[in-house]
Amino acid sequence: MANVQGVAAQVNEAVAGRIGAGLRVASQGPPDTLRLVVAPEKLRSATEELLRLRARFLITVGIDTRPLTADYRVLYLFSLDAEHLFVVLECAADPDDPHVDSITSLVPGANWAERECRDAVGVTPDGHPDPRRLLLADDWPEGLFPLRRDFPYDYRPPAAGGVAPVPKQPPEGASVLPIGPFFPVLEEPSYWRLFVEGETVVGCDYRGFYNHRGIEKLGESVLTYNEIPYLAERICGICGFIHSTAYCQAVEKAAGIEVPRRARYIRSIMLELERVHSHLLWLGIAGHILGFDTVLMQTWRMREPVMWLAEEISGNRKTYGMNTIGGLRRDLPAAVVPKVLKVVDEVERESVAVRDAIVGDTTLLARTKNVGVLTGEWARQVCVVGPPARASGVPIDARLDHPYAAYDEVPPRLCTQQAGDTWSRLLVRVEELLDSIRQVREGLARLPDGEVLVEVVDEIPRDRIGISVVEAPRGEAVHFVMTGGDNRPYRWRVRAPTYPNLQAMPAMIDHAAIADFPITLGSLDPCFSCTERVEAIDVRTRTRRVYSHKELLAMSRDLTRRGGRR
Amino acid sequence: MTTAPLLALALALLNVAVALLLSPLAEGVMRKLKAIVHSRQGPPLTQPYLDLLKLLGKEDLRTTGGLPYALAPALSLGSVLLLATLVPLGAAPPLGFAGDLIVLIYVATTSAVALILTAFASGSPYAAVGGSREMMMLLSVEPVLAVALVVGAVKAGTLSVGGILAWNAEHGPTISMAIAAVALFLALQAQAGKLPFDIPEADQEIMGGPLIEQSGPRLALFRWALWAKQLIFALLLVQVFVPWPHLGIVPLDVVLTLVKALLVLVLVGVIDAVNPRLRIEQAMGYYMRVALSALAGLAFAVIGM
Repeated sequence: MANVQGVAAQVNEAVAGRIGAGLRVASQGPPDTLRLVVAPEKLRSATEELLRLRARFLITVGIDTRPLTADYRVLYLFSLDAEHLFVVLECAADPDDPHVDSITSLVPGANWAERECRDAVGVTPDGHPDPRRLLLADDWPEGLFPLRRDFPYDYRPPAAGGVAPVPKQPPEGASVLPIGPFFPVLEEPSYWRLFVEGETVVGCDYRGFYNHRGIEKLGESVLTYNEIPYLAERICGICGFIHSTAYCQAVEKAAGIEVPRRARYIRSIMLELERVHSHLLWLGIAGHILGFDTVLMQTWRMREPVMWLAEEISGNRKTYGMNTIGGLRRDLPAAVVPKVLKVVDEVERESVAVRDAIVGDTTLLARTKNVGVLTGEWARQVCVVGPPARASGVPIDARLDHPYAAYDEVPPRLCTQQAGDTWSRLLVRVEELLDSIRQVREGLARLPDGEVLVEVVDEIPRDRIGISVVEAPRGEAVHFVMTGGDNRPYRWRVRAPTYPNLQAMPAMIDHAAIADFPITLGSLDPCFSCTERVEAIDVRTRTRRVYSHKELLAMSRDLTRRGGRR
Repeated sequence: MTTAPLLALALALLNVAVALLLSPLAEGVMRKLKAIVHSRQGPPLTQPYLDLLKLLGKEDLRTTGGLPYALAPALSLGSVLLLATLVPLGAAPPLGFAGDLIVLIYVATTSAVALILTAFASGSPYAAVGGSREMMMLLSVEPVLAVALVVGAVKAGTLSVGGILAWNAEHGPTISMAIAAVALFLALQAQAGKLPFDIPEADQEIMGGPLIEQSGPRLALFRWALWAKQLIFALLLVQVFVPWPHLGIVPLDVVLTLVKALLVLVLVGVIDAVNPRLRIEQAMGYYMRVALSALAGLAFAVIGM
């Protein structure tokens, strides 16, 4: 930790040297976080200085701090990965007419973050290259900002006309091929307009955020610290545990809560099990996108026992409900350990077989090699994270750069490739899948005894900040918490890994064939939710009946046998 | 080879009946096979029949008017049934005549042309992309078919399909005919619209391509035409290029041919299950190489091997 303090001091000095009196306050948040309040006109210079130190932009956090400081604050979160340090640039914006200088021309990856900050909090980025609406619905009225403190969480504004974002015009001679908002291989609604000349994509336009659920607003206005993990878990349909872990860690960091070692180990193990089933799921979807349904069917069959395992440990296939501030609500029973080992052995054996089959498949190679190439340079510029970054030779992994849970004691192996194409992303994920299995085994072997929850007696102090990053299967997820007074965060900010990764898409599909669009998008790993159990409610009698997995399977098979006759 | 007109008529009806009534079964076998490779239970063998019945009973919805669009499904299935009468099934082609080989090549393209017409008429950008892909596939695969048949024609010294069959049955396997047979088999994968060549439909990319706006009876006819076509091409392959053992007893030969054709389709099904989809230009390059290799067969045929 002493080393981190030293680096923090150096960064502080460097920024002070660059902008002089423009650096107003420098303070230490949690030990790994340096918070620099800079004058608004020096924001861009300070950013340049951080970029020179090879800082990576994470996200912006716009906060309506009018009740506290009589202005708006915008926080720019950066990470110095090799130095294990977070740096926060904070700058104030006028309470009556909030503006900040846009940094998108310095950091292309800040494009969406600044637009989102404008949509949600109303702080306009001056000089933004593409200031169209990003987050808000097409019929949301102008001048209403949902994340301001005086905006009630349940207010539904009347629909406004004529405020829809202007679609980009296709280049001369190109026609538009719409992909979405609903499309067979996109599991979430997102709307791409591909500009095509024949079979070649010459440009695209994106419109997303159709499913924005106002989760941050709920966290800041309705829920309490201990309720948020269950909402955080529902952010993602596949890797929910990473979000509840990231949120809890952010609060724990802000409040200085020390989590018991056993709980940290179990968090690691559950996170890696999640990665195992998520990567298998991805492999299946990638196969499906290429029409290779045998891969889909086999990998999803292989991942099923991992889901059953999660159910046995937590009571649920996916939303585990295990995390809480200060540790876990549920211990890992000793009886389940041999079962975990048996399942991961089997998954490993079959994964190796699948890997060997895939590596030798020339048709698959032809469809993924040199497809959707993301250069390392551009990956850094757009701040891409996770397997897409590592496949482009950017050696970042939140588990190594900002160790959390038990990753300091059971570290992962950094899996990188250099080519940056879909094939490399596939190789990285397959390698990670096998490495996750190793980590689960090692974690279980070294699992310490003891408590899994530390009681939080004191009230969590106000106005502290905590940044937590968790390496989700799709890349680094960032949770930022600024603590508040009424047993809930003043501001809770979430950045999922797809957020930066999607911004790399336009470059990846430039002059690609239409046929390569789905697999290129798929190679960023879209999210998918699957529920095995169905709850049926009889409308007339209002009785409930829950069908078990076995019953559903039997019913399904029976229906097949009867040739679909009910 | 001449057959009495009545027998010819009966055989023609038999061919049409086989193409119509057995092709869904062959498709059902291929689906079941795919399910087994997937570790799935899979649909019952009769599922394609049920699919057709269901689709035929639905409302006929059209996205656009115009005669070519309205007639395309019937044209597609009709051309395939005409094709059926030009293909031998256990005996010489029922409606065969000197030079029917040329007609066969033309008729074989008609169903694809009907599909392309539908695609461009339906006004969907996905259909337009699918239609242009269908056209490119047609232009790549048709030469392979043509070269394979010409090899047979040169070898047997006749432009009649029945003549090639008779020559082959009499003379036994030759190098040139074997090359032609392999080329025809490789073309079959695309003719049947199976992976890695289901590029014009490509569900995950362009959501069914030419067929995206088709539903109900129109979709049923297009599907039926496709299934019939894959069975007919399998028959053409096993009958013209692998006719042995040719017993000369028509009922036995019919059964034997059908079993052989089904085996060929099973092989097509396996290839379908273990391959991802190629891009259109990769497929075109592949078929160009196949066509060039088939020309080697022609060279062998010319020097009499």
